[in-house]
Amino acid sequence: MKLYLALALGGIPIGAMYALQALGIVLVYKTSRVFNFATGAIGMACAFLASALTGHGAPVLVALVLAVALGVLLGMAIELSTRPVQGTLPRTIVTLGWLLVLTGGVGLIYGDTVATQQPAQVLPSGIAIDIGIKKYGWDQVTVLLVAAALVVALAWFFRATALGTATRAVSEAPDAARLLGISVDRVNLVAWGIGGATSGLAGVLITPLLQKLDTTTLVVFTVQALAAALVGRLSSMPLTLAGGLALGIVQPVVHTFTDRHIPGIHGGTDELTAFIVVLVALLLFRRTGRRDSVGGGLAPSPIRPLPRGWTALAFAGGVALVGLVLPLLVDDIGNLSRVSIAQTAVWAIAVLSLVLLVGVVGQVSVCQAVFMGVGAFGAGIAMAHDVPFLLAVPIGALLAAGVAALVGLPAVRLEPLELAIATLALAFTADRFLYSWVPFASRSGNRDVPRPGFAGLDPGHASAGQRNYAWLVIAVLVVGSFAVASLRRGRTGAALTALRSSEPATAAMGFSVASVKLRGFAAAGFLAGIAGGLYAGLGQSASGSPFDFTRSITLLAYAVIVGVGSVPAAVLGGMVVTLSTLTFGSTADVASNRAVSASTLVTGVVLIGVLALAPRGISGLLARLRRDPAPPAVKDEIPELVAV
Amino acid sequence: MAALELRGIGVRFGTFDAVKDVSLAVHAGEVVGLIGPNGAGKTVTFNVITGLQAPSRGAVLLDGVDVTRVPAHQRTAQGLARTFQVVQLFSGMTVVENLMVAAHRFTTGGVISDAVRLPGRRRALASARERAVSVLAFLKLQHLADIEVSSLPVGQARLVELARALCLKPKVLLLDEPASGLDPAETAAFVALLAEVRATLGCAVLLVEHDMGVVMPLCDHVVVMNFGEVLAEGSPAEIRSNPLVQSAYLGGAA
Repeated sequence: MKLYLALALGGIPIGAMYALQALGIVLVYKTSRVFNFATGAIGMACAFLASALTGHGAPVLVALVLAVALGVLLGMAIELSTRPVQGTLPRTIVTLGWLLVLTGGVGLIYGDTVATQQPAQVLPSGIAIDIGIKKYGWDQVTVLLVAAALVVALAWFFRATALGTATRAVSEAPDAARLLGISVDRVNLVAWGIGGATSGLAGVLITPLLQKLDTTTLVVFTVQALAAALVGRLSSMPLTLAGGLALGIVQPVVHTFTDRHIPGIHGGTDELTAFIVVLVALLLFRRTGRRDSVGGGLAPSPIRPLPRGWTALAFAGGVALVGLVLPLLVDDIGNLSRVSIAQTAVWAIAVLSLVLLVGVVGQVSVCQAVFMGVGAFGAGIAMAHDVPFLLAVPIGALLAAGVAALVGLPAVRLEPLELAIATLALAFTADRFLYSWVPFASRSGNRDVPRPGFAGLDPGHASAGQRNYAWLVIAVLVVGSFAVASLRRGRTGAALTALRSSEPATAAMGFSVASVKLRGFAAAGFLAGIAGGLYAGLGQSASGSPFDFTRSITLLAYAVIVGVGSVPAAVLGGMVVTLSTLTFGSTADVASNRAVSASTLVTGVVLIGVLALAPRGISGLLARLRRDPAPPAVKDEIPELVAV
Repeated sequence: MAALELRGIGVRFGTFDAVKDVSLAVHAGEVVGLIGPNGAGKTVTFNVITGLQAPSRGAVLLDGVDVTRVPAHQRTAQGLARTFQVVQLFSGMTVVENLMVAAHRFTTGGVISDAVRLPGRRRALASARERAVSVLAFLKLQHLADIEVSSLPVGQARLVELARALCLKPKVLLLDEPASGLDPAETAAFVALLAEVRATLGCAVLLVEHDMGVVMPLCDHVVVMNFGEVLAEGSPAEIRSNPLVQSAYLGGAA
């Protein structure tokens, strides 16, 4: 008991840092109704800057000030980059683009020397307080004081300053505020600047506490920040602080308890705890005020009928020809092999699941790679019970569908932003917890997923096996595309499209809003699970690393970049993903992970650019070239006028 | 038996009684108007009937069946259909596609049958389209069938919303301020159409409306609400001459 008490007390300073990051999220959300998913990444970048400065002999205070200044600049840069983007949900996706830019950028600068970086020692040392059971160092006390001071300062800012009042006005009614002469842009810029500063400060202060500086730890802390912000109901500063502290207290207790008493868990309980808090908070707490606007790129696009007659026949013939011939033409030469054809088709199925979820159901998932992972491990588990491959993959996909429905629960009653939050939290949690949890993964972290004989890789049969596997995956892709297109034009598709305009009206037509949405999630999860199982078949093994949180985010990024409005775009998406996994650059770049970082960076930049310039993505641009008249502008930003 | 009956409905928000003990009945073929000044509790009463608001007291009956605890989307199966105060058509879809969403109440099929194109899918789509087209023909709106709904002027959008509600084959039709936003000519066209609908289909209609130009010619019976209670009810002529109603509307001392 005494141990747990000491652990709980020891978690307080870390909890204060969660709270600090959460305060930035709350502040930004209050003014712009955008969730800053890049908050952890900003902290990470600032911590690296502080480390570099102190490493070069700069005084601690200078390093601290400059690092926080970087946070301000990054916050403001994000705000500026969201301005051309329509809708609060696409703007939130912009922050995911920044997450990629920052992690990719820092990775590119440091290469494989990332591991040797030391956090900037900006905190005083020595024992400050000794309460017997637990000693607090000056570093911990300083961090707590800073967090408390910031809460007080922010509360004062909102209540007592003109800008604070303007911020509150903008958060309640931006149009009315604008009419009163408040510059909404300026208020947003300031709020994002302050939000960036708190993220940066949290990053610089937390790294010496953890004695750890890398490109992922602080990014994963976003899940704790999300949890604390949701406990604070996205508005109350003191409650947010309390939420962060509570999380800091609970996590080490849970960690040690599960470590001692529940076998099979290999880390990730911190993220799991935060994820559960996120889910519960989302289910209990209904956001009030202005509604989210989904904006141009994610708004429903008009459904065109499927081609009929000769056109359909020619189309099907073309697809069949390409699908059959491609694996024959390409042999295992260089980068473009039969494996990469199968891989392209697998990623195309994954992007297709996002076309279904974002384009048809109208929800955003930041954890599609997790559904793939569940499908892959699920198939592995089934095969461990002697289920044949062709049955094991759908079984794994059913498991993925179940997980998707579970994560989708908060979004059933609520809005797309809730699902984005829940799924991002799951992406981080799966990374740290699920893929190393033993009943799920195996002790080694991998599970065997041997291919069926006809696509196997026995000596002498390998080339034919690769060809057959490519044919199999392409066939699944074709069937899947056809299924999504049919679904969209069928009875459920009609209900789903209707749902996106008006939930009360859809209910008035006799459709259960909850059931229709949940079935949509489950279908998308199933498709992603199929992709995961087939991916595992590529290397005949399921493991977590291809389905980490970066993959989840980049998958969504590629889906948005190619455009989620049309099914054929998924194939394009598959090509882009495969391209991104091919290694470019010199051997040295590859060895130092700089190639991967560069790919992440470019993905982030392109995502931000596409959201600003071509909200319907590449396929939207192509469609516009084909038919001149632009689709009618989607009514945006005025949904609060709709009586519910 | 009344097609729609409210028995002693009360809705309490905290300490505020938005609706106090409201009872009313609408019979098949009858048009009942629910009127009253702003804040009288009309919309809350309406939401209780549609199932968007659970009442604190009382019961809602459709065709004698108690549906007080039935969720909103299942009430269509009991013959309830509605329109919205602010038109809520499904954007991104054409008029006929909008109507088909409603007509799908009479079809079956789910994700799997749609995705793998079971034979039932084609039947479902064909029968929904047939129903939608026949309702459009009945209301003489065929020319709008393939127009995307966001490009419709509000007058036509209201007609399409009415058509969509009729696709549900309602026994009880609830109209929430159908004339709001319409100019006098559009209002007159709507009134004429509604009179025809009622004469032909014989469903019960409950109308929440401010515009006396709609209420008076259409309604057989008018219920006046004020401060959450039924202030008066009777024929349109009786209501017009009722001093209580006049004072509630004009603000004079009763």
